[in-house]
Amino acid sequence: MVDTLGASASTDDGSVKEQDRLLPIANVSRIMKQTLPTNAKISKEAKETMQECVSEFISFVTGEASEKCKKERRKTVNGDDVCWALAALGFDDYAGPLKRYLQRYRELEGDRVLNQEKAGNAEENDEPSLYRGSQPRN
Amino acid sequence: MRQAGMYSGILNGGMSGRTGPHLLPLARIKKIMKRSGEDVKMISGEAPIIFSKACELFIEELTQRSWKVTLQGKRRTLHKEDVASAVIATDVFDFLVNVVSESGANSEDTPVVMER
Repeated sequence: MVDTLGASASTDDGSVKEQDRLLPIANVSRIMKQTLPTNAKISKEAKETMQECVSEFISFVTGEASEKCKKERRKTVNGDDVCWALAALGFDDYAGPLKRYLQRYRELEGDRVLNQEKAGNAEENDEPSLYRGSQPRN
Repeated sequence: MRQAGMYSGILNGGMSGRTGPHLLPLARIKKIMKRSGEDVKMISGEAPIIFSKACELFIEELTQRSWKVTLQGKRRTLHKEDVASAVIATDVFDFLVNVVSESGANSEDTPVVMER
């Protein structure tokens, strides 16, 4: 099976560097802090545990979404699959805020990010975009 | 003054150029998605974007539930054991039970499982 991860993500013995497996601790702890009262403190281990939990969350939901795609014989996991998986796994109260977020994002960004991702990440096997070249800004 | 949130994608190893006002790096999210299974071959551009928001909501929820445990213990520092307690007490976080055990959190004497 072809390893879709770039060489930069692996050490010589093939193991994945921890920082590629987890989201950056600074980002994770920033979100945690925003949720808590100003005088709250968070231990380093709690932040690290949260990092692990988020990665597991991504894997868990992606697995479910990917299974749905497989059953429906589709190769690409898209945004709707992720939303569906979240609802199926009990995170249905995320659905509302997510749909609004996605709507707003689509309005603001259009296809610019899709083209940017294609340009900046040749190793990815994304479905070919219907739009080639630059898009007129709204 | 520079808006930290707007450019955090660049500062934290995001994709080429501006990735938008995301709190979490899309490229890293995509890597984690790809590692989740052999079946995951292609990922649309929107999926990591949805995850960046979903992860934010997830972190908020787990943090708030953990903090409740912290307060019950009359403490002001959130510890990993509080996260473990919140996971065990919440049905929808069942998939995390092994994760918080691996972190070295002590198992509960009498775990109470509450319906979410």
